[in-house]
Amino acid sequence: MNASTTDLGLHRPAFLQEQFDDPLQQREAATLGMWVFLATEILFFGVLFASYTICRVLYPDGFAAASRHTDMLLGTIETAVLLTSSSLIALGVRAIKLGERRAAVALLLATAVLGSSFLVMHGFEYYREYTEHLVPGIDFLQPGVDARAIELFFCLYYFITGFHSLHVLIGVIVIVGVATRVAHGHFGPRRYTPPELTALYWHLVDIVWIFVYPLIYLVGRSG
Amino acid sequence: MSSADTPHVTPARRYLWVLAALLTLLALSAGTAFLKLGPFNSIINLSVSVLKTLLVMAVFMHETGARNLTRLTSALGFIWLAMLLALSLLDFLTRAVLPAPW
Repeated sequence: MNASTTDLGLHRPAFLQEQFDDPLQQREAATLGMWVFLATEILFFGVLFASYTICRVLYPDGFAAASRHTDMLLGTIETAVLLTSSSLIALGVRAIKLGERRAAVALLLATAVLGSSFLVMHGFEYYREYTEHLVPGIDFLQPGVDARAIELFFCLYYFITGFHSLHVLIGVIVIVGVATRVAHGHFGPRRYTPPELTALYWHLVDIVWIFVYPLIYLVGRSG
Repeated sequence: MSSADTPHVTPARRYLWVLAALLTLLALSAGTAFLKLGPFNSIINLSVSVLKTLLVMAVFMHETGARNLTRLTSALGFIWLAMLLALSLLDFLTRAVLPAPW
């Protein structure tokens, strides 16, 4: 750290909080804090994945049968959409760092559009499952010996994908907010931590879906 | 101060390569799901997921250039999750079904 300039308070940008020596230290502290939050998010989804694992160990056939009820084509498209959106927001933050404001806004808005299209596709999935009587507690009607296991699977399915979609929705709102602030010149090569942390959040939401995809959509497809 | 004034950027090309790799891995897991591989279907699918996660974390989330403290913290969530899964399964996979004595 350059002690002489910081002690005199010279070159201190307005966004630099008083407890930090320089923007680098402030950014590293913020990134560390974001990762602590993301660790709690991993555990939030982790308990749902743990429940899923235990139920699948107990009822392997029922879970394979239930997974075949999900829409694999839509699930695959949704995965591709989220992966693409992750690369777009990474490029968006890169554009902010380089001071390319118009490109950054376009990339962030494209990310938000892909996130929204993910939500719309999921809406179609939920609607189709409703018409096929696959909603436990509201309208669940399945024949056969595996009915209870299928019901368990769909309980977990709605909790996992529902909470994930909520995270996508929050992400879309935050990304649009960040894009607006980039457009107004709030962020640029000297200050890009909030967009970068937003991107970290978006990537984690993507990672959660990377595990949802095989566990929900790909079980028992070869059977 | 120089690192704060001129931010380090990853080449755009690298992000696009990673996206191509991620989409290829997605096609791999979708394609192999239809092959009759028994337990290997799940093993392949979850290995692909782990690989995708490592790619996203290393390049998109800039873990390769991060400080060790940040890297350790980012691994923590996954380590705790591994403990949760391991200890839960320790019970369910080893629980013997005993017939009622009466």
